[in-house]
Amino acid sequence: MCAVTLALAKGRTADRMMELLAKAGIQFPDFHATCRKLVLNSEDGTIKLLFVKAVDVPTYVEKGAADIGIVGKDTIMEEQPNVYELLDFKVAKCQIVVAGFEGKQPEKDKVITVATKYPSIAERFFVEKGIRTELIKLNGSIELAPLIGMSDVIVDIVETGSTLKENGLVILETIADVSARLIVNKASFATKTIQIQQSIKSLKGVLE
Amino acid sequence: MYTDYRLNDENLIDYQKYEQIILTISKRFMTYGYTRIQTPMFEQYDLYTKVTSSIHQNEMMKVIDGTGQVLVLRPDVTIPITRQLAAGISELRNEYRYFYVQDVFRQTFDGQGNSQRTQAGVEYFGVSSPEADAEVIALSCQTVTDLGLQDCKIEIGHAGFFNELISEMNLTATQVKMLTKMIQAKNVTEIESFILDLPIGEKVKKAIMMIPFLYGKPEEVQYRAAEIAFTPNLKNKLEHLAKVVELLKLYGLEDYLVLDLGLINHMGYYSGIIFQGFVEHIGKPVLMGGRYDQLGNEFEAEIPAIGFACEIDSLIEASANRLVESPIQLDAKIIYDSACISQSIQLANELRDQNYRVLSLPSQKKVFNHQQSTCTIYLEEASHSLLYQEKKTPFVNSSEVVRLLEEERGTYNCVL
Repeated sequence: MCAVTLALAKGRTADRMMELLAKAGIQFPDFHATCRKLVLNSEDGTIKLLFVKAVDVPTYVEKGAADIGIVGKDTIMEEQPNVYELLDFKVAKCQIVVAGFEGKQPEKDKVITVATKYPSIAERFFVEKGIRTELIKLNGSIELAPLIGMSDVIVDIVETGSTLKENGLVILETIADVSARLIVNKASFATKTIQIQQSIKSLKGVLE
Repeated sequence: MYTDYRLNDENLIDYQKYEQIILTISKRFMTYGYTRIQTPMFEQYDLYTKVTSSIHQNEMMKVIDGTGQVLVLRPDVTIPITRQLAAGISELRNEYRYFYVQDVFRQTFDGQGNSQRTQAGVEYFGVSSPEADAEVIALSCQTVTDLGLQDCKIEIGHAGFFNELISEMNLTATQVKMLTKMIQAKNVTEIESFILDLPIGEKVKKAIMMIPFLYGKPEEVQYRAAEIAFTPNLKNKLEHLAKVVELLKLYGLEDYLVLDLGLINHMGYYSGIIFQGFVEHIGKPVLMGGRYDQLGNEFEAEIPAIGFACEIDSLIEASANRLVESPIQLDAKIIYDSACISQSIQLANELRDQNYRVLSLPSQKKVFNHQQSTCTIYLEEASHSLLYQEKKTPFVNSSEVVRLLEEERGTYNCVL
């Protein structure tokens, strides 16, 4: 039986997922807190784990370099890969929101400037609302943009809201709820059906 | 792209694979009675905008001709063939089986700029029946297994099944689009929250919720799907699928089949059975097809049809390590002394007439040619001989060489 390749987003999601995997009885003997290995094999040889950057997980899965992947809904929404999205782990929960200064709701009659790590999500959201925007793509510290007058609002993920609060920003609108999801390559689902369904089943068992 | 022909170049090897695969596929298509055709490289832009929901206009490569008319580089083959056929007949009185091996052009936005792809496909215009569907699906499966890809899976669905459910739901175009996306992603969580608030009956809700799970071995899926087939139309569609599956078992293809009632093709012209083929290690379908009985209506004709197309580049990638490559491109090399030039040319011609691949080289220039050949023929002033598998056999005239080669032909690797 050949192994199922699993692409896991490094960082926040990875730590929680490793716990879940361990609960599901999938052990990685080589894994420890300071582990720098990028490829790990599970004890029973059924799963080959790849640690990749979160935004790249959809790419690995869509191209078939990994059969399945675990990644946040925010990344899936941004990249829109052609894959199956079979499971919601309901962990690593947060929200994608529009945030800005209190009482300054985006309005239809003027162009607003939006700073974001998620240009595609932001664009779709505002186009649907009929609000014209100018997008600024940033890679971190998004909250800074409105403070220094570079943008009117931001589109970003919010977990507790404390960063927003400390910088005097509020949530103006919620775009979507985010949590870790399981995505599957469509070809792998056809050619490795049994192995993949087995992995999903054992993960599902842990969630309930 | 296979334009670089340096010796031992990867491109050269790739191109040989490309040819070998096309040859194998064409042969298979012909064994089912298909005739090869070709369609023009340039097509009217209007042809593709007329056929609704087929190819997005952004995907097409546009060209403007001398008179200011907008043309496109052939983005698909099915539509022009159907149009052509519809122009001649308004109603089908005879069957037509055509196949093609051509490049199609689509603008892709994945940043790799690969806008040219070779497709090999068939179109079968004939009465719609489970037998016709099974025959075409069997052909698609056999085409892939012919290439040594034994692990292939053919996913079969029905375009009408989801459409029928949609028609029961009275949704806006945007809602249909959203739901289609969720079904394509088998996103159970979001489907659930999406239909929760919709003013639709419990039966439809249950059916929609079930769709992502209607995937797997044909019998199991049929059994589970029967529960949600609450209209006669849905039942008909399931029965049709069941018949096709039964027929495919007769073809001996049971192990290759997967039923997927959540399969929705992005080509909007499919109306009946749809299918796609996957092989291991390739992340996208290597072939796609389906029944498109209504496409002819767009051109005022009644032409039931079914077809599929294979992606040659994906098949080359998939069979990369499985095809037995023959590195030997020559059957015989004739090395002659300058005095024997006339015999050499004569012998080479005789052998070529018999379809052997032959090179003739003067002995002082043989160092410049490194191509391998199955045997070597030496025409020296003193004597003539044939070297095959380290065994040197002398001969006097050309008919003897032909006979010697003929004897070896059983184990011989030559083009015939």
